[in-house]
Amino acid sequence: MRAVVQVAAFLASVLIIVYGALITEDRADPRWLGMLVVVGGLWIIALWPTRGYEAIRRARPLVHLAVVLAVGFGLVTIQVLRAQLLDRDRILAKASDPTTSVVDLRRYLAERRVERGRILLTDGTVIARDQTDSQGTRYRVYEGPSSYLAGYYSPGLYGSAGLERAFDRELSGRSAGGWNVWLDGILHRPRRGNDLVLSIDPRLQQLGQTMLGERAGAAVLLDGDSGAILAFVSSPAFDPNQLSVPLGATAERVERARAYLDMLQKDGRGPLLLRPIQGLYVPGSIFKTVTAAAALESGLATPASVYRDDGALVVDSRVIIEQNRPDPSRVSFTLEEAYGYSLNVVFAQVGLELGAQRLEGMARAVGFGERIPFDLPVAPSQIAQTPDFLTSRAGIAETAFGQGQLLATPLQMALLTAAVVRDGTMPEPYLVRELRSPDGHRIWSRQTKEWRRAFSSQTAAALHDLMVWSVEHGYARAARINGAVVGGKTGTAEVGYGAPHAWFIGFAERAGKRVVVAVVVEHGGSGVQVALPIGKALLEAAVQGP
Amino acid sequence: MRRHGFSLRWLELQLLVVPATASLIGLLTISLARLGSSRWSWGDLTVSLVFIGVVFATSLWLTLLKVQGDQILLPIVAMLACLGLLLSQRLSPTLPTGGVWASLSQRQLVYLLIGLALMWVTVALVRHFFWLKRLKYTWAVLASFLIFFTMAFGTDLGSGARLWLDLGPVTVQPGEVVKILLVLFLAGYLDDYRELITSSYRVGPFSLPPLPYLIPLVVMWGIAVLAVVLQNDLGNALLLFGVFLVMLYVASGRLLYVTGGLAAFAAAFVVALRLVPRVAQRVEIWLDPWSDPTGIGMQPVQADLAFAHGHILGTGWGFGFPQAIPVVATDYAFAALGEELGGLGTVAVISLYLAFVMRGLLVASRIRNSYVRLLSVGLVSVLGLQTLIILAGTVRLLPLTGITLPFISAGGSSLVTNFLLVGLLVRASAFTRG
Repeated sequence: MRAVVQVAAFLASVLIIVYGALITEDRADPRWLGMLVVVGGLWIIALWPTRGYEAIRRARPLVHLAVVLAVGFGLVTIQVLRAQLLDRDRILAKASDPTTSVVDLRRYLAERRVERGRILLTDGTVIARDQTDSQGTRYRVYEGPSSYLAGYYSPGLYGSAGLERAFDRELSGRSAGGWNVWLDGILHRPRRGNDLVLSIDPRLQQLGQTMLGERAGAAVLLDGDSGAILAFVSSPAFDPNQLSVPLGATAERVERARAYLDMLQKDGRGPLLLRPIQGLYVPGSIFKTVTAAAALESGLATPASVYRDDGALVVDSRVIIEQNRPDPSRVSFTLEEAYGYSLNVVFAQVGLELGAQRLEGMARAVGFGERIPFDLPVAPSQIAQTPDFLTSRAGIAETAFGQGQLLATPLQMALLTAAVVRDGTMPEPYLVRELRSPDGHRIWSRQTKEWRRAFSSQTAAALHDLMVWSVEHGYARAARINGAVVGGKTGTAEVGYGAPHAWFIGFAERAGKRVVVAVVVEHGGSGVQVALPIGKALLEAAVQGP
Repeated sequence: MRRHGFSLRWLELQLLVVPATASLIGLLTISLARLGSSRWSWGDLTVSLVFIGVVFATSLWLTLLKVQGDQILLPIVAMLACLGLLLSQRLSPTLPTGGVWASLSQRQLVYLLIGLALMWVTVALVRHFFWLKRLKYTWAVLASFLIFFTMAFGTDLGSGARLWLDLGPVTVQPGEVVKILLVLFLAGYLDDYRELITSSYRVGPFSLPPLPYLIPLVVMWGIAVLAVVLQNDLGNALLLFGVFLVMLYVASGRLLYVTGGLAAFAAAFVVALRLVPRVAQRVEIWLDPWSDPTGIGMQPVQADLAFAHGHILGTGWGFGFPQAIPVVATDYAFAALGEELGGLGTVAVISLYLAFVMRGLLVASRIRNSYVRLLSVGLVSVLGLQTLIILAGTVRLLPLTGITLPFISAGGSSLVTNFLLVGLLVRASAFTRG
C-alpha cells in the first residue's frame, strides 16, 4: 500500500512537471513555481522513510532533514536543466530579439571563432569577406562600390544589417547541421561559414551606379523569367567598412564607428535605406499601367477605346489640367495614345469609370499593400493613406493617374513590369542566387518561383502593346534599342515640395532574354530626361549580353 | 582497526585521485584554450600540482593525527574546491582584482591553502569536543561582537551591504564565521536544555512548548538575524534562520517548532516585501528579469544566457564567456560552471553537494554523543542550506540573495570558514564509536 502511494506520488510529480513545462514559458512563471511546490510535496511523500527507519528514534529528525534537503536539491536540478535544455531556445531567441536590447556577447564571440562566409556577386567578385590582422583579430572587410548591398556586420557595435543580418545563420555556418559541424564544435576546430552568391551582375550594377551618380535614387533591374535581381542600386549609400568593428577593438575605433552610424542615421537623405525595397515614392504616371490593367481586365476598355481630353477636367471641386497633349488642338485619344502620351485627364476618366473597388482590386492584385517575398524585408507599397480617400471622386481620379496618396517601392514597380512580359504572373524576386560551402560545393540554389498572378495573359498582352507603343510612338521614344523589343513608361511624380520624382519602368526582349527595370531619381525632374536614360542604358547593357 | 601505529586512509587516498586528475586536466584545458595552441609545459600546471600536494598532505596529516573519522567527506570537498580553483583560474585574466592580489586565481589559491591550514589546526586542536561545548556562551558573545563590530566599522564592497572588515591588505567577511559560532552556541545550549525543550506543559486542551527556555535562544538568534537584516545581508539572515529551525527540530523532534518558525518567516517576508524596497526589487527581478534586461535584470538575464549557451555538454573550460555576467565569481559561479560544463556539469556539481550533505547526515546519525551529533547536523545544514539558497537564487527557483557557493565561489572568508567546518565534521565523525 505504502509503496503504491510512493510510486503514484512520484509519477504524479513527473506528470505535473511535463504539464508545467508545456504550458509555461519561463522558469519563474508563478504557475510553474506553484507546480514546483506541489512537486516538492509529492517528492517528500515519495521519499518519506519506511517505518523500519522511523523506529530509530534519534535518527528520525535527521532522516526528515535529509529528505527535505534532497527534495530541495532535486528542485534546483529541475530548474537548471529547464534553463539548459528546455528554455534554451527561448532564452537565446529573446536575447537576439533587437527590441529587448540585450547583448548576447557569446553569440558574437562564438561567431568570431568561425570565419564568416563571403558574399560574392554572380561572377565571383567578393564584396564582403573576413580578414585577420596581425594580432589575430578577425574583422569584416567590404570591397567595391556596391558593398553596401551586403549591409554590415559589426560585433563591436553589437549590430548587423542587410544581407549580413538576414543570412546570418548561413554566413556564420550555424545553419549547416550534421555530424561534422557537431564534431568541430566539440573539438573546437576552426570552422568557416558558407558563402553567399548574389545574382547581381557587377557590370550592370556598376553601370547603374555610374549613371545615377551622386543623385539620390534607386534602380532595380531584374531578369523577367527568373526574378533574379541583376542590378540593385541605391544612392546615396554608406561605407560598411567604417561600421565594421571587431569585438575587442579600441574604444577610439568603436567611437568613430558609432559617430559614423549616428551621422548616417541623422542624415536626412537616408543613406542606410536600401531604396529599391525600402524607399516609398509617389509613382506618378507609371501607375497608369495599373489603371490601364484594371480597365482592360474588367473589359471596360480596349487599347482602341476612345476618350475625350479637352485640356482640363473638373472632378468635384478639383480641376485637373492636362499638360501632356502632344497637340493642344486634338481632343480625342485612344487608350493606347493616352498611355503613350501620359494623359492625366483620360486616366482620371478611366479611373472614375472603374470606381474605387476595381481600381483598388487591381492595385492589390499587382502587390500594393502586400509584403513582397524577398531575401530582405520590403516595405509594402501603399494605395491610400487614409481609409476614406478613395471614397471621394477626386481621390479616385488622382489615384488613377498616379498621384493621390499612392506610394510605391521601385521593386514593386519592376515586378509589375515583369508581369507584363510574363503573361500576367509575377515572379518571386531574389538577390541571393546560391549558398556555397567553404570548399565550393553548392548547398542550395534558388529555384524560380511564381509569386502571384497579377492579371490575365490577354491583359498582359494588351499592356505589352501599350508599353511598346509608348516607346515606339509616345514620350518614351528615347528608350528604343536597336534589335530589341522595348516597352516602357515614364513618370514625373509631383511630391508637393521640390522638383518632382523622375520615374521610368520598362522592359526589353531580345533573343529569348527578357529583362525589366525600374528607376527612380528623387526630385530629379522629368522622367523622360532623367530616369529614362538610366533605365534604357541598363536594359540595353542587359540584353546585349557580355 | 589498529589502535597503535599508523594506518593509511586508503579509501580517502583512492578517492582523492579523482579531484587530482580533474584539476590537472582542467588546468591544462584552461591554459590551452587561452593560448589557442597545443603546446604546454609543467609550469602551466603549478597551481594544480600545489593543490594535489596539499590535498594528499591533508589526508596524510589526518593519518598522522590518527583521526579515525570519515573518509568520503574530504574527497567530495576536494573535488568542489578543485572546481572553485579551476573557475578562478578560468575567470582570472578576464576579471579585475583589487587589493594586494595579482589575480583572482592567486587569491583563491592562497585562501585555499590558508583554509586547509586552518583545517589542519582545527583537526589537531579539537580532539575532544567538551571544551567547545563548555565555551558555548563565549561563542555567542563572540558572534554578537563580530556582528556589531562589522555594523559599526564595516565597509561596503559594492553590494549595498556593509559586510566586510578592512584589515589593510585584505578584507574579511565576519558574517561567515558567525554562522559557525552560532552553530557552536546552539548545539551547546540545545543539548543542555534538550529535556526541557522537548517537554511541554498543558494549558487546557493545548500542549505548549516550554516558552521560558526558548526565550534566551530566540533572543540570541533574533539579535543575530536582525543585525544581519540591518546590514542588508538577506542571504545570511535566511541561512541563520534555516539553521536555527533545523537544529531546534533535530534537538527536540517537534514539528511544531518548524511549522511555527516557517509561519513566522512567511509573515516576516510579507512585511519585508512591503517595507524593504530591496526585498521587493529582488522578488521583481526574480519573477521577470526581462523587464529591465540591461539594468537591474542584467545579472539573471546574462546568467540565463550562460546556462542556455551551456546546453548539455557545455562550451568547455575556457571556451565560454562567463565574464558577461556581472559579479560572476561570487553570486553566479554556478552559472559560469553551467556555461562551460553544461547540463552534465551542473547536475554533477549539485550531486556533489547532495552527496556531501547526505554523507554528513549519515555520519551524524551514527554519532553517539548527543552534543557532537547536534553540532555535526548544524554544520552540515549550514553548508547544505547555504548551497541550496544560493543555487536556488542562481537558477531562479527563489529570489537571489548574495551569499557564496561553498568552496566554489571566489571569497576568502567563506572558503576558509568552510574548511574549518569540514575540519570539525571530520573530527566529529570519529565519534561514531564509543
